[in-house]
Amino acid sequence: MRRSIAAGGLFAAGSLAPISALAGQVGGQASPTQTAGQGEHETGSHTPATIAGDKVVQPRREVPVLHKTSVLVVGGGPAGTAAAFCAKRMGVDVTLVERYGYLGGLATGGLVLGIFPLYDRSNKQVIYGIGEEFMKKLDVMKYGIIDRWKAPTYPTIDAEAFKFLLADMVLDSGITAYLDCWGVDAILDGKGAVRGAIFESKSGRQAILADIVIDCSGDGDIYAAAGASFEKVKTNIGLISRIGNIDEVDMAPGRGSEDPEHKAQIAKPSEGRPSKGRVNDFNGHAGNSTPAPHVNWLNMRGPVGDALDVADLTDLELKHRRGTWSNVEKLREKQGNEQVYLTETAPQLGVRLSRLLDGCKKLTNQEIRSGAKFKDVIGYSGAYANAPEFQIPYGSLVPAKVENVLAAGRCISAEFEVADITRLIPVCWVTGQAAGLAAAMCIQNNCKPRNVNVAKLQELLHQQGAYLG
Amino acid sequence: MTLLRRVPRRLIQLACFVGALVLVWPVLPLAVAPRFFQEVSPFVSLSSSIAARSIDLGAILALVVAMVSSLKKRWFCLYLCPTGFLLENTNHIGMRRTRWWAKLPPVGRYVTIITIAGAIFGYPLLLWMDPLCIFSSPFAINKATNPFSVALVCLGLGVLVGATFVFGMAWCVRICPLSGFQDMLFATRKALWMKLTGSRADLVKISGTADSLRVKAPALKFSVARRVFFAGVGGAALGLLARRAGAARYRNSDTLLRPPGAVPEDRFAGLCIRCNNCVHACPTKIIHPDTGREAGLAGFGAPVVKFDRDYKYCLETCNACTDVCPTGALTALPLAQKNKYIIGEALVDNNVCLTALGKKECDACEHACPYDAVKITWDESSYNAYPVVNDKCVGCGACEVVCPTMPGKAIRVWTQKPA
Repeated sequence: MRRSIAAGGLFAAGSLAPISALAGQVGGQASPTQTAGQGEHETGSHTPATIAGDKVVQPRREVPVLHKTSVLVVGGGPAGTAAAFCAKRMGVDVTLVERYGYLGGLATGGLVLGIFPLYDRSNKQVIYGIGEEFMKKLDVMKYGIIDRWKAPTYPTIDAEAFKFLLADMVLDSGITAYLDCWGVDAILDGKGAVRGAIFESKSGRQAILADIVIDCSGDGDIYAAAGASFEKVKTNIGLISRIGNIDEVDMAPGRGSEDPEHKAQIAKPSEGRPSKGRVNDFNGHAGNSTPAPHVNWLNMRGPVGDALDVADLTDLELKHRRGTWSNVEKLREKQGNEQVYLTETAPQLGVRLSRLLDGCKKLTNQEIRSGAKFKDVIGYSGAYANAPEFQIPYGSLVPAKVENVLAAGRCISAEFEVADITRLIPVCWVTGQAAGLAAAMCIQNNCKPRNVNVAKLQELLHQQGAYLG
Repeated sequence: MTLLRRVPRRLIQLACFVGALVLVWPVLPLAVAPRFFQEVSPFVSLSSSIAARSIDLGAILALVVAMVSSLKKRWFCLYLCPTGFLLENTNHIGMRRTRWWAKLPPVGRYVTIITIAGAIFGYPLLLWMDPLCIFSSPFAINKATNPFSVALVCLGLGVLVGATFVFGMAWCVRICPLSGFQDMLFATRKALWMKLTGSRADLVKISGTADSLRVKAPALKFSVARRVFFAGVGGAALGLLARRAGAARYRNSDTLLRPPGAVPEDRFAGLCIRCNNCVHACPTKIIHPDTGREAGLAGFGAPVVKFDRDYKYCLETCNACTDVCPTGALTALPLAQKNKYIIGEALVDNNVCLTALGKKECDACEHACPYDAVKITWDESSYNAYPVVNDKCVGCGACEVVCPTMPGKAIRVWTQKPA
């Protein structure tokens, strides 16, 4: 039964106190596994939006509290799942909320299957911890992951294997999870500190109350709603797809170049001097091998778009699917590729960056290129292009002003050029793990994220197998 | 001079030898020191000034050396020349200490004449025979990254030491262009002096005792003058031919890249004296002496740029090579100008580019470019993205060295062609 109270009613002040009071009442119905009775008739919302003059207004209303938790992780992508598992292992109560119907975010639904960047300049792996745990579990699954320990070639995972793995782990972990549930707003107390988040789902608009919120939404939706300052950036938005009946391999050193079986399938460089500014169709060597035999994942860079604009997103969702289909048709025209088919386009757009937090520490391009060392290092990113491997400080996860919220994943506090590296899958695992542990420490020590004992955090990270240099 | 005679000659030579080492092995804070070392040679300074049509500070030093040499015969060889010192000592332990070479014609003078005549037409043909350049060349060995480079930088001095050990002092006395040039200065001064004073003394006066270096030069006769004339005409003609060949070589090459500041290819191989100062100066070790693969026999030993080392490219913070060239084959460029000098042009092979083939989330070239010259550009019509290189590209190689494709880089620096 849905409880709705009209604006100006019992809890007009809208502060934390009355909502907490309510939470006690509704806590019992908040199990995600609870099934509704058959054939139950309900009336709709009592507070629909109405037209007032030339504006659409929605009356002030009470939001039912779905759940109450210690650590709330918003977003179940690489950073969110890492944060949730790591916090839960510390023995605190964790709730994980994800907008799609599966976990893994861009690593599964986005088909970003390459686990990259993982190595330093000398091809030594510098990302371990929870990410390495995931990969170890995938190692023993058939068709789960390929190209492990073949630096500088990066491992490639299978999306379905990883979805299975995360579902399996969540079910066994004791984490309370809500899927198909969008984080849309923050809940603040009277001092402006975050006390939870508002979600939209098929159950309507509901609140989850929490002591600490980890914003792993990718777009920083929760910290932005809570009033933290951020930088908005626009970059390319693509749509990855998988194509079947193709045998094409990596051209990076390692796998493709050494394996005689694959040598014949590697794209050959053009003879002589390439012409200037030429664009061409795929020459038959499209995409990169995945654990599934004869299936490649095909990356797409896409045009620059605004990831926070629904019109841009819609436009790209439609155009990208049309473009992918026609590119696969063109690919079929190449000799040897006649039987290639489009297995799937990714369910999620490949949004690279949208909001970048203004944190206690903004990680700068200059710092990562000069090999800056941080006292509050929580992990490393691998080397990428001409940037060497670099340290990520804890300060990049903590908003400069707003309390009780941590950021992890692609929306952390870093300059654009840096965020373009920290947004990648294994680096999201690193920031997620650190944010999860820090949040658990906040609960256990009853402190704010910015006051977390960094030495203790580093010790915990170390215990969980993370690499800190 | 009397003072100099009192001090044992060997001691002065040793002091100069050590001084030369200090200069070419830049232990001095002054990075351009090696350049002044070669510019002391009047042969190098005069020829390169004529060929490059410019004069710089080092030429003043050379002028002093030239003036003293015209007064005191082979003064430079006897006291200053570190190559001379090395070869004299080699000769002492060598196999042939006789003066058999006295029969040889004075090759060094013809080398000088050919070179200066070529220099007038912009191509000083045999400038690389200067002993100071040959002396300093092996000191680039610490920047040699492969056995070929090691062999090339050591070749000149190795040949001289070896030949002196086997054949005696033939190089110093007869072949060396610097000694030939000094002889000519001395003879010219004498001839002028004779004309002015009416003195009837011998054209060449031998001073001192029989030292291996102090020999009587043949008097200048008509037949000699004729040979000088032919050497001059020949030098000029060969110089012009070499320039044409150089220009053609550049037109036909796809991979020939010279260090920043290099003069156009038609003159480069002539002006370059193979001193390897630039090889030595390069902090990223991307400048190599050419084995002849890039620019043929004419360019043998001259510096070429190769991006064959991990992540090493022509740094946007460095203009060291342009500062150390003694001849102006590499024009001295301030950093801002050097960063505009076009070494080559980056071109993309979309047949192997990881981004163009949808293989990887790769924009390594765009990230790496210090000049904002590479942009991964979305093309709506083919619904794909490609690295596109714009006019800001100078061919520094930053993109090439980070490009991860194998085999063969998807983005490479090629010899620049007119659009």
